[in-house]
Amino acid sequence: MKIAYFPGCSVHSMAREYDRSARLVSNDLGVRLEEVTDWNCCGATAAHSVDHALTLELNGRNLAAVRRMGFDQVTTPCAGCFNRMKTVGLELKSSPLVKRDIPDVMHLLQFFTEQIGLDKIAGSVVRPARGLKLAAYYGCLITRPRKIAGFDDPEQPTSMDRILQAIGAETVKWSHKAECCGGGFAASQTSIIIDLAGQVLEAARQAGAQAIVVACPMCQANLDTRQKNIEEERGIIYGLPIIYFTQLIALAFGHSRREAGLRRLLVSPLPLLSRSGLA
Amino acid sequence: MHSDYRPMRLDEIDDSLQKEIRENCGVDVEMCMECGKCSGGCSNGHVFDYTPRKIIQLVKLNAEDSLMNMDALWICLSCHLCVDRCPSGIDTPRILDYMREKAYCKGLTTRQNITLFHELMLSSVRKSGRISELPLLLKFNWKTRQYMKDAFLGLKMLLKGKISFHSPGVKDRERIRYLFTKSSMKAGGARQ
Repeated sequence: MKIAYFPGCSVHSMAREYDRSARLVSNDLGVRLEEVTDWNCCGATAAHSVDHALTLELNGRNLAAVRRMGFDQVTTPCAGCFNRMKTVGLELKSSPLVKRDIPDVMHLLQFFTEQIGLDKIAGSVVRPARGLKLAAYYGCLITRPRKIAGFDDPEQPTSMDRILQAIGAETVKWSHKAECCGGGFAASQTSIIIDLAGQVLEAARQAGAQAIVVACPMCQANLDTRQKNIEEERGIIYGLPIIYFTQLIALAFGHSRREAGLRRLLVSPLPLLSRSGLA
Repeated sequence: MHSDYRPMRLDEIDDSLQKEIRENCGVDVEMCMECGKCSGGCSNGHVFDYTPRKIIQLVKLNAEDSLMNMDALWICLSCHLCVDRCPSGIDTPRILDYMREKAYCKGLTTRQNITLFHELMLSSVRKSGRISELPLLLKFNWKTRQYMKDAFLGLKMLLKGKISFHSPGVKDRERIRYLFTKSSMKAGGARQ
């Protein structure tokens, strides 16, 4: 199987471990992720915040590149890029001026659950993640708004939980699965992140999770890099590793901690994962 | 009750903003039933000056000035919870994007830092077609004179290879520049 793959700026730099583990496990599952030719930034929060026309242009160019590669589907590991590309794709589809076919956009989580399938993922596990109690965290834009995302449940999503269960882990029931972490305000309004990401960490702690599993580079960055500030602010030591779901799949498929890029996470998952024999 | 009290009549209120939003965003605020699910769920509503339900009311009341000058315009996280939970499917984030763009064109903002960050991000995209995180953060801290902000965190991330000075950009730079000329306004152009 082959699919067009749009990594996005964060996944190409800050979240390289997400990119590498996604390619690694896709390869194991017999899927080739073909990087979109000469892709550009989706414009992120900045473009849609102050320049609607620019959002259309930037994403239109990427969608056209996917089409030129001969694909009618594209997947992206970033929730932000996913929301931007899919929103613009739907807007272009409804426009009478656009005659080209617009490719379907899906988040990597959707691609894994719907097209690769849980059975296939479970079938490739050589080292089950047994004994791990994880909080699957979806954030806002993977499943929201339902009219755009068209995937899973926007309030109580389960796709990532099912993937984690398929590799042998236990997932907790918790309140903040689909709450916002603060998104792109990490540098410009750090206090908002301390507030919102703090609520997410607290909810995961109360649910008894040993780690939070994510599918978005923004969620990862906010929960991981700001965890120290949040601990200072709240006077509670969380020590919760924030791990990409593809990293955990890679470990369950028998890859080393190095291949899974575990050392790149700020709150180290190594003590937890080596205790459970996964790394 | 005050003697000169007269109930507000919606048909006497100027509805030009309402029409403008219907035409430009395809959003009909008339559909709002004021249930407040948007405000109840809003991720950042606890620090907004106007919550989403009030924002829809402001559109109905043609209160363009209040909308353009409100803080909520800049600290909305675009988490899309309001539109997702709205029984009428009113796309409040789209209205906010529209009003923010208008406010930005007039040079209005309540949060200089956020506007500056947007501008720096777009200038990075204009230059290389992509965002390079480290130069962006350094520029932001420099311009806001927070020279030591996150210095320790940044160093740690640099050592872990999480952020780097060099990240490859788009090859077809000319095309990117062309896309920016097609953008309706200044974010990528005049305010550089």
